Amino acid sequence: MMEQELTPSESLKLIETMIGQAKQSFRRNSFYFLMWGVLLIAAMVFNYVMALQDSPIGKYAWPVVGLLGGLLSWLHGARETKEQHVRTIMDRMMIWVWAGYLATMLVIMMGSGASGGAMSAASIIVLTGLPTFLTGQLMRFKPLIFGGVLFWVLGAAAYFVDMQAVALLYIAAMLFGYLLPGYLLKRQEDGLRTA
Amino acid sequence: MAFAPLDPVLHNQLRLAIVSLLVSVDSADFNFLLEKTSATRGNLSVQITKLKDEGYVTVKKTFKDNYPNTRCSLSAKGLKAFETYVQAIKEYLGSAEN
Repeated sequence: MMEQELTPSESLKLIETMIGQAKQSFRRNSFYFLMWGVLLIAAMVFNYVMALQDSPIGKYAWPVVGLLGGLLSWLHGARETKEQHVRTIMDRMMIWVWAGYLATMLVIMMGSGASGGAMSAASIIVLTGLPTFLTGQLMRFKPLIFGGVLFWVLGAAAYFVDMQAVALLYIAAMLFGYLLPGYLLKRQEDGLRTA
Repeated sequence: MAFAPLDPVLHNQLRLAIVSLLVSVDSADFNFLLEKTSATRGNLSVQITKLKDEGYVTVKKTFKDNYPNTRCSLSAKGLKAFETYVQAIKEYLGSAEN
């Protein structure tokens, strides 16, 4: 870039060009939806099958999946950050939307446990709708917006049915609210990378 | 009508390019700024230091694959200066059109 005296119109043009350049940078987010979708569906299926056999071990799937998913997310995030030359404001917002969701879930789960109750699966489904919906809106990606709304609708329905039906609603919410939008997002990201 | 003087720190092609890139991201490393501005390493380094000394950008130096990695982000002072600068050039352009 040559050093020269700028006129006001050249300054404005330079600003617009540079802002446009920065907007072209993006991060891959589909990995998280695909990975968490698969893990959480697997945990619910395991939980469901164990419950049908009156086995108490089904509930252990959740902490195992939580730790495994957390570790994989951390490893993937660290690798992406290392390779990435720029972090956008949206990247930071997404990180804190999901970190806020995780903190809320943990506090409610621990609080419910301490007060002798248990956080219902319906509440978990409803709560998961919030970060999914916000992510969709931030990225302007409609499948995730619909995914978030689907979590709310199926979560509301889950308050009125028995546990077996709740499990099926949970799997449906994960399948169409996480996995399918995650797959569509991956296709979009792959297209942008090769463009 | 008297115009506000343009901020001499920002009224420089490369420094304005750096700040314009940083205004729309959370942070960016040296190589990103190098690629987008097409500046030379030496000149980019000098202008980043100038912006840092003025308090317009914050600079974090780390290591990436055993190589030094400089990561820059715009400070609140830098953002305010950028907004004032944009407002000033809009006034200049507005008066030129009238």
